[in-house]
Amino acid sequence: MTALIEARELTKKYGAHVALDRANFSVETGRIVGLIGPNGAGKTTALRAILGLTAYEGQLQVLGREPLRDRTLLMRDASFIADVAVLPAWLRVDHAIDFVAGVHPRFRRDRAAELLAKTQITGKRRMRELSKGMKTQVHLALTMAIDAKLLVLDEPTLGLDILARSAFYDALVNDYMDETRTILITTHQVEEVENLLTDVLFIDKGRIVLDSSLDDVAVRYAAVAVAADRVEAARAEKPFFERRMLGKVVLYFEQPNLEKLAGFGEVHTPSVADLFVAKLSGGAA
Amino acid sequence: MSTYNWLIRREFWENRAIWTIPAVLGGLMILVTLFGKVNRISIPLQLPSQTVGGGFLLAVGVTFFVVMAIYSTWYLLDCLYADRKDRSILFWKSMPISDTTTVISKLATALIVIPAVYFAAADVTSLLMAFILSVRASSYIGGALWHADVWLQLQVLWLYVIATSAVWYLPLAAYLLVVSAWAKRAVMLWSILPPIAAILVERWFFGSQLIANQLWDRTVGWLVLAFHTSPGAGWQTTVVDNEAIRTPASIWSFLDIAGFFSSLETWIGAAAGLALIAAAIQLRRRRSEM
Repeated sequence: MTALIEARELTKKYGAHVALDRANFSVETGRIVGLIGPNGAGKTTALRAILGLTAYEGQLQVLGREPLRDRTLLMRDASFIADVAVLPAWLRVDHAIDFVAGVHPRFRRDRAAELLAKTQITGKRRMRELSKGMKTQVHLALTMAIDAKLLVLDEPTLGLDILARSAFYDALVNDYMDETRTILITTHQVEEVENLLTDVLFIDKGRIVLDSSLDDVAVRYAAVAVAADRVEAARAEKPFFERRMLGKVVLYFEQPNLEKLAGFGEVHTPSVADLFVAKLSGGAA
Repeated sequence: MSTYNWLIRREFWENRAIWTIPAVLGGLMILVTLFGKVNRISIPLQLPSQTVGGGFLLAVGVTFFVVMAIYSTWYLLDCLYADRKDRSILFWKSMPISDTTTVISKLATALIVIPAVYFAAADVTSLLMAFILSVRASSYIGGALWHADVWLQLQVLWLYVIATSAVWYLPLAAYLLVVSAWAKRAVMLWSILPPIAAILVERWFFGSQLIANQLWDRTVGWLVLAFHTSPGAGWQTTVVDNEAIRTPASIWSFLDIAGFFSSLETWIGAAAGLALIAAAIQLRRRRSEM
């Protein structure tokens, strides 16, 4: 089967700066993929390319289309919040709904109204009168009311308080997500999305350093907290990263020999956030 | 079609000045007519009543269209720049609307929708002013403002003005769209600098001024081509204070329809306009942010 998003040698240069450096990755239907990387790693550039907002080199297919050339058609099946708070200051909430209902064939007005009814936001208000969090809620309501095959979210909950964030992710998983949809999400709050992701893409300096399902991560990576006096022995198993923690040393292994590791301490699957730190700090392991 | 409908509506939401400026202008003119010293207007009564009334209504309409030209210039410079500046382009581009459709909707707003608004505002203002003047200054202006044929001729004139200026100024409008889609800041400056630089370079290196002449022709050429600006057939002569004044007897002796539409200059300009529109669309496609 062909992937929903397929990138081969995807490259984007801004003058001398290489934002994406021959990145290869693919995203399958029905997955919730976290695109995770430090600031300036190329996350936003990758999303811009996927959404047809920027020219690029290399090959890129999204829903079987070339994003830059076919953006108009692509946007019937893909929706995105490319950044927070980009609804224009002069736009009224009810006008925003009217507009999207008027131009988007897959927009479900009742769904948007339902989502907005849960907030304190009334229709006659302009975006400039709303707080950052409220603006984000309007944008999320507009976007989630679109019956899209691919939803792209770039830092979707920036500016939302903890309650609104958790409500958003609950709605995303329970009401929005189903096996026909695919979500690609970037966020700095990795811990917050860790439980809903099915796949992770780690990106660093424009290159994909990990493209894996979380199931595979559990098989492929292991971490062991080792007492200080046994670290030397454990190092024989070639950890690719180690980190001191509360008098112990946590060692991270790829393709671990679980039986041997069990002798050094309790073996566990690293969290996405820990694995991210380990992969990026441990370098080219 | 419905997409264009929504895009035009969107322009009205964003740019309330599209209707507030003509509304305020009309309001001011009506206020002056209501409270000004209209009885002191001196009217060359020797002229035919049609010419007096027509001249007055023409002046009202021209005022509207001059203000419109200034506003439209600003609108065209701003329309593809504002949403890049506030980054709302990321929202607009998440809609299944092509960049071609977007750019055409802005151009149509500038060349058709805004002129239509000013046309309507000029008519409403003229009607109200004529009514007020008939009451307040009937002894002076009398029935001069109520010639049905003059009103009809003016409607034809405004439609002609809108149609021909849209064709003639297409390259200038499209150039402004290119700047608007391209500039990272200071659109006004960027719209003026390239032509000034081109003129100066030409002058220093070649000592000629072809570009300056071209630009000047494009600015005023419309008046010269679209209208009979010197007296000709169908013009009438009236003697006022021993001076012969020649005015068009009707709108038909004033409009040079054949001259305008058969001029090569008109169509070369339109072709350049289309090329610049294509450039603006390409820029819009590739420049999603500053």
